[in-house]
Amino acid sequence: MSIEFDPLAGQRPAPIPLNLTKPFWDGAQDKKLMLQYCTQSGKYQFYPRPVSVYTGGRDLEWREASGKGHVYSFSLSYKAPPPFKDVKPYIVASIELEEGVRILTNIVNCDPSTVRIDMPVRLTWVLAGTVNYPVFEPA
Amino acid sequence: MINRDIAIIGFAETKIEFRSGRSVYDFAGEAMAGALAHAGIEKSEIDGMAVSSSFADAGNPFYGPILSAYLGLELDWCQVTDLGGASASGNIARAAAAIKAGLCETVLVIASDPQSSQNKQSIGAFRGEFQYPMGIMGPPGYFALISQRYDHQYGLDPKALGKLAVTQRNHALMNDLACEKLKKPITVDDYLASPMISDPIRMLDCVMVCDGASAFIVTSTERAKKMGAKKMVHPIGYGERVNYMETNQTPDITEGGHRAAGKRAFERAGMTPSDIKMFQPYDDFLIAIVMQLEHLGFCETGRGCQFVNERDMSYRGDLPLNTGGGQISAGQAGLAGGAHNLSEALRQLFGEAGSRQVKDHANAIVTGIGWIPYGRNWGSSTALILEAA
Repeated sequence: MSIEFDPLAGQRPAPIPLNLTKPFWDGAQDKKLMLQYCTQSGKYQFYPRPVSVYTGGRDLEWREASGKGHVYSFSLSYKAPPPFKDVKPYIVASIELEEGVRILTNIVNCDPSTVRIDMPVRLTWVLAGTVNYPVFEPA
Repeated sequence: MINRDIAIIGFAETKIEFRSGRSVYDFAGEAMAGALAHAGIEKSEIDGMAVSSSFADAGNPFYGPILSAYLGLELDWCQVTDLGGASASGNIARAAAAIKAGLCETVLVIASDPQSSQNKQSIGAFRGEFQYPMGIMGPPGYFALISQRYDHQYGLDPKALGKLAVTQRNHALMNDLACEKLKKPITVDDYLASPMISDPIRMLDCVMVCDGASAFIVTSTERAKKMGAKKMVHPIGYGERVNYMETNQTPDITEGGHRAAGKRAFERAGMTPSDIKMFQPYDDFLIAIVMQLEHLGFCETGRGCQFVNERDMSYRGDLPLNTGGGQISAGQAGLAGGAHNLSEALRQLFGEAGSRQVKDHANAIVTGIGWIPYGRNWGSSTALILEAA
């Protein structure tokens, strides 16, 4: 089976950021995956929140993630939601990062029949509209 | 001591329709008129209202007061609840709390949502930036992630899911209110052959969005007796959990809030799962039934499929399941979908379920599920134990 790098290429809508996630999208511009880090508890969190989910405080800073992780769960999507059209099965995944958070994303550059839970993956980038968007590929 | 001082004295459910073209207010009116007639009370008795939010009129910031005006109600207490499919069961508890606090005496609990005709939802939040660009297929996509993980941890038996599909469909075939489009017999093989939407979620794992409404009359047992109510059902145990393991960024997504909600409901009712006569759970996906059996304590973690295979969950069986067909086989009236299983539980407890009447109808557990958080299991969980008076 031929492997398409990104089965959703050219169809991904641009993200609609909230003000509090600006550092995440600024980082994406330089292909850096930025995560919130709670300095009180010493733990990461994703998606970005206005407070630490651990303490309720605002002692948060942004740190670049290693981009290494593994598949926590996945699905092969056969029916795409709008605005995607006529897309072949693509991989939707929950990736657990080394930093101890999960991110919902796609696995690209991968034959859908080979994806497995616990499979190691690494960060790569695709375009959503004109914005860099983090996805993962087999490591 | 078990508290029986609140009573549900009447209810009504409309027919579940697909793309009826009718408004949220029209459905609500039909449901309220039916519930008043069923309870045998005048509209003037209603001084409180708790309504589920709707997709059809989403974005209306005055939904409660406007709906009550359409219904000709003047209220001392009015509440809109946005726990999604957990709103109807949640509103029985909210109505009870308002009555006990002396805010009002007789509450209309109502849920109306012709979502297949009109859908104005705009959820925003994390969806716009972290969900839409990666193309997860809404609830089926999320339940696919949950199912895949469940299969990895415990093994998921598709034939057990097929048995659930068939059991519920057989019940829908006996339900005059079930959506006509769904009233076709199915087999386990039909389930297994149904197309993958978001592997491992098949078409027949999912609900179909429809239109419909339900209404319930809640008052104090004391007042119910004064009003001469002939039949009543007592809510004797309730538990609710909004968000679960929220401070854990890598939670087990096969776990859910019914662990907490169920424990509290059973404790308040002085019961254990073995005391329950019928199971009327919220069913947006078949695997949600399996997981709720585990989370509520009907069986051990990871043994839900085995439990289903060993039991007869038909209306004549040892643990009757969604005897109206459930939402998967009767249709889901949008955010009013959580009222279908509540209506069916009351129909059974009032002894009015006709050809599908459960013989031992002393009590029932009803559950609700609402909202899909980012990368987790469902966010809102309710468990309500009802007892026939």
